[in-house]
Amino acid sequence: MSNVTQGAVLGKDDPVLRTDGLKKSFGGLTATDDVSFEVERGTITGLIGPNGAGKSTLFNLVSGFYEPDEGSVSVNGTDVTDHEPHEIVGEGMVRTFQTPRKPEGMSVREAMLVGPQGQTGESILPLFTSSSTVRREERQSLERAEEMLERFEIADLATQSATDLSGGQMKLVELARAMMSDPDLLLLDEPVAGVNPVLAQKLAGFIEELHAEGQSFLIIEHDMSFIMRLADPIIVLNQGSVLVEGPPDAVRSDDRVVDAYLGGPA
Amino acid sequence: MSTASLTDRIGSFSRGEQVATAGVGLLAAVLLVGVVVGWITVTYLLYLVALAGMYVLLSMGLNVQWGYGGLINFSVAAFFGVGAYGSALLTADSSPVAGGFSPVVGLVAGLLVAAVLAVIIGIPTLQLRDDYLAIASLGLAEVVRMIVLNEREITAGSAGLTGIPLFFADWPVLGSLEYPFVLYVGDTALFTMERSLLIAELNVLLVVVFIAVVYLFLRRIHLSPWGRVLRTIRTDEDLAKSLGKDTYRFKMQAFVIGSVIMALAGVFYTHLVLYLNPQDLAPVLTFYVWIAVILGGSGSDRGAIFGGFTIIALQQGTRFLNAAGTIPVDPAALRLMIVGVLIIAIVRVRQEGILPPEKELIWPGSTEGSADE
Ligand SMILES: Nc1ncnc2c1ncn2[C@@H]1O[C@H](COP(=O)(O)OP(=O)(O)OP(=O)(O)O)[C@@H](O)[C@H]1O
Ligand SMILES: [Mg+2]
Repeated sequence: MSNVTQGAVLGKDDPVLRTDGLKKSFGGLTATDDVSFEVERGTITGLIGPNGAGKSTLFNLVSGFYEPDEGSVSVNGTDVTDHEPHEIVGEGMVRTFQTPRKPEGMSVREAMLVGPQGQTGESILPLFTSSSTVRREERQSLERAEEMLERFEIADLATQSATDLSGGQMKLVELARAMMSDPDLLLLDEPVAGVNPVLAQKLAGFIEELHAEGQSFLIIEHDMSFIMRLADPIIVLNQGSVLVEGPPDAVRSDDRVVDAYLGGPA
Repeated sequence: MSTASLTDRIGSFSRGEQVATAGVGLLAAVLLVGVVVGWITVTYLLYLVALAGMYVLLSMGLNVQWGYGGLINFSVAAFFGVGAYGSALLTADSSPVAGGFSPVVGLVAGLLVAAVLAVIIGIPTLQLRDDYLAIASLGLAEVVRMIVLNEREITAGSAGLTGIPLFFADWPVLGSLEYPFVLYVGDTALFTMERSLLIAELNVLLVVVFIAVVYLFLRRIHLSPWGRVLRTIRTDEDLAKSLGKDTYRFKMQAFVIGSVIMALAGVFYTHLVLYLNPQDLAPVLTFYVWIAVILGGSGSDRGAIFGGFTIIALQQGTRFLNAAGTIPVDPAALRLMIVGVLIIAIVRVRQEGILPPEKELIWPGSTEGSADE
């Protein structure tokens, strides 16, 4: 149990994400209290903690959806504190949401095409002056989307309306779409919440595959078997602060973590 | 497809397309009969078509904002008014400021002012949640109307502006034609035309050109990565942000483009009716255009065109019924009642509108099987 650290492990070799003293309050409630942690490049880092520990708030802070009261965030060594969400994506970090966001009225492959960054056809002028570039990029994106959907074994859904997908299928599409934007670090907020166990196993397999290819992840998850299988290290958040960080087996049996989950004194 | 007979093609229409086709066909038949029987003159019919064209432009403009991007703009009448007054003030004889310019100058000025106004409204509101634009635009509509009504030394106030030239009044040939216009072949008059009819025809031609240009422009920007991002914003702005899209920029572009198209409708209207007063900016205009877009199908360019025509059919149909003495009801009240029934009907049976939008916003010719398009 000696390899579980009180608070987060700092000073990692090559952190893709680093926060320093992040703080966020909503009225009288401090949701995030002085959080400093690092995500090492090439890892699947787990972020766990009881309900209301502040995990999603932390995601919102680092991805630019909330402005921190104090503290800073950097991605790939660039300070992105107070940057807009889209700018942070530009630095290489993409997040998903805890509640799946269904793009109503879009087909699955159309939704996938929103993922790629810096598309020429997202500006108006090139639509008239460089239509061949736009077409070439669209073809490439479509091809990639197809590959990605095949990889996640949902190629048959490509032209289906996203509105008709099941919750589990939507989770797969979200992961596939996020991958379309070539992130350095992918933040997943409860990727298997509400997903049946078979599909959850499948999803874990896909994440392992991507990880083996070098993709870095930061994953929030309540499903312990899922996160213990995938993540190393695991950071435990409790009442807005980092409680401990360590390898999965050690964290699971750590008294402080058990206490936190049982609602005992931290 | 080219070998398929007409009936086959109609058979392959969606239900909405069938309804739309039937509606347009019925309307055309009624109007044709009306002209033949002598209920309406050809000139008046053409005037109505031109007026419908104005509604089509307005609907296409609002469709860019609401249909593409989910922006709630309640100041359609204001942007329409900026175009109408912008052009009128620069071209009319009676203009208190600077009349006498060519309508082309008026057109450019009207569109520019609308673009600037859209940016000014957009800067504070488009960064916030959807409802802020809705509220601000409600205010804007009244502010523009009040300015037009009260700033007499600039806008002529409630007296209105007269002496507005036709759009093509100063064009070579057209401007100098003598009336009635007679086409000679040798010494024999092949063809004679009254001035009013010629003008009505030219106005229809003008609005058709405006609509065609706008439609082609919109098709290109809609079926594209740009249109796709707006569609994403419409369903979930945070989702678009999380995928790296600068949603503020996209919303601003859609808002400005839509507003400029509305102003174009205003410019056209000014040079169609040749007389402008603050009544023309009444909020009911905004209301009708919203109905047109929702009825046609939010996000559908074809739907906006269909919706624009429907509004005129509705306005004139009720007026006509009343004139014919068939109903003992005030046409204005009847109209609103029909509109109310229509809204309820759409919400209950066909929320996506008569002609729902494109299934996928992907650049044409990029998907397999679309290469032959
Ligand atoms: N926008 C907000 N306004 C007010 N309070 C908020 C807001 N967002 C989060 N909170 C509060 O902050 C605390 C932390 O919430 P957060 O969603 O980050 O928890 P979590 O660890 O993700 O929980 P869960 O596991 O249930 O998803 C909670 O008490 C929550 O009610
Ligand atoms: Mg959460």
